[in-house]
Amino acid sequence: MNRRQFLLTGAALAAVNGIALSNVRAATSSAKARIVIAGAGAAGLALASRLRRQMPQAAITVIDEKTAHHFQPGFTLVGAGLWSPDDVTFRNADFMPSGADWITEAVAEFDADSNTVATSSGRRVPYDFLFVATGLALDYERIEGMDRSLIGTNGIASIYANPPAAAASFRAIDAFVDQGGVGLFGRPTTEMKCAGAPLKVTFITDDLARRKGRRSAVKLVYNAHNPTVFSVPPVHDRVTQMFAARDIAVNFSHVLKAIDPGAKRATYETPEGVVTFDYDFIHVVPPMRAPDAVMNSPLPWQHGPLATDGWVEAEKATLRHPRYANVFAVGDIAGVPRGKTAASVKWQAPVVVDNLVAETSGKEPLATYNGYTSCPMVTAYGKAMLIEFDYDGNLTPSFPFISPLEELWISWLIEEKGLKGAYRAMLRGLA
Amino acid sequence: MEDFNPVTMFAILRESLGPWLWGLLLIALVLVVGVVSAAMKLRSARRSPKHPIIAAALAGGVATAIFFMLVPGWTMATHAALNGPVDYLVAILIAFIPGGGIAAMVFSMASWRCARRTPAVCDKSMA
Repeated sequence: MNRRQFLLTGAALAAVNGIALSNVRAATSSAKARIVIAGAGAAGLALASRLRRQMPQAAITVIDEKTAHHFQPGFTLVGAGLWSPDDVTFRNADFMPSGADWITEAVAEFDADSNTVATSSGRRVPYDFLFVATGLALDYERIEGMDRSLIGTNGIASIYANPPAAAASFRAIDAFVDQGGVGLFGRPTTEMKCAGAPLKVTFITDDLARRKGRRSAVKLVYNAHNPTVFSVPPVHDRVTQMFAARDIAVNFSHVLKAIDPGAKRATYETPEGVVTFDYDFIHVVPPMRAPDAVMNSPLPWQHGPLATDGWVEAEKATLRHPRYANVFAVGDIAGVPRGKTAASVKWQAPVVVDNLVAETSGKEPLATYNGYTSCPMVTAYGKAMLIEFDYDGNLTPSFPFISPLEELWISWLIEEKGLKGAYRAMLRGLA
Repeated sequence: MEDFNPVTMFAILRESLGPWLWGLLLIALVLVVGVVSAAMKLRSARRSPKHPIIAAALAGGVATAIFFMLVPGWTMATHAALNGPVDYLVAILIAFIPGGGIAAMVFSMASWRCARRTPAVCDKSMA
């Protein structure tokens, strides 16, 4: 009997009787497991908070060198010139649950065969259960000629890099609207976080130009990476219709390959070959991949579409690793379709925690994740569409009175006033 | 929707409002105590609540209308952003929060004033 089996068996025998299983009070486990969470982003902190409460006797270790925490869903509003970088910057320490051991070092290596994680200082941390929540890496360098230091210069914007870059992106958008010319938008062909954001930036630029009376001075072109602008068919149809109504041109199957910042030229790969466009403004969305420590480990998919960029292999419904049963992947790093948003984390974290609690209590883990994700698609200053969907691309609205494909102020209200509080509550394991 | 239980909603409100939440709850508590005590005072003085209610409804209605005009700006939007019945309904409900507070305050003040006056001033029918 190895340590993990011993823990499972022991915990099952010692399972607390009468554990409340109501909707309000979550189940708990008395297992004294060693749990390592790699990453203190949205997923890592949400997991740590829930595990601290639901497995009070477990030894929880969080590994992440970052001390600042960024509310990434707010980057769009920074890029729209409405919020400041400070509005989306928190401190990880404020959300780290008491009793969790936080190692402020980077994860250097995952050794899933020996159940250890190595940190950047060479420290090896053993675990019984591992939650991989590292987030992802922005691979700007994969676009020839692109470097994140270019953001805010030469008409280059990119709200993804960090809050100051999002603020610099707004200045670039504003200057472009004032000066006029051609603006290019698009997204990479990789899996990506918040796939609605490139569309939001396009809509915001259009609306800003209209508000300034400069719409006729700018030409906006959205270069979709494949034959759709959004992977959910009804959303694709709706956005395509809105782009047409707003005179935003769309090129399909155009993937940004290189840019020449000095000459302001962007090169795209298309099914017909390479094409080059001159631009006055470009919003660059970087290709995204797993961080090096994950890429270099045995955890990623070994084949299939999610293998190339190193996403951690995970069962869709449980986020459990099929080859390493004591490993779970949560958040952006999880190799599942869609699901790279904070809204996904909100639904993923309870599933994996509840299943671990059940398992270590000798019960059958029954919780499942249906791929829920959400994108408050900002379509103008003050308007948004609250789009929610699952793995199958079914629209799954949470509020029956909010039409997901209708531009509404209430959806903007949720984006502008509601999400940050809900996100912070999620980090504390309370939402 | 099933996830929006009171515990979750309170946690979200607490994170959204920070220390302001406790200030707002205190104001709400003061208003509730004010309304209840004013109603009891009216009752013990054997006065009709008709005039205080009318005054509160008028003040609350005007305040709600004013705050309705301000609500979109609070979200960095304009009234042009209101795009459907649900938008107007939610904006009115949000405006009703300060409007209701002002109505409660006016009711309390009017009730105390009414209770102190002679019956002829506030309610001839109960004199």
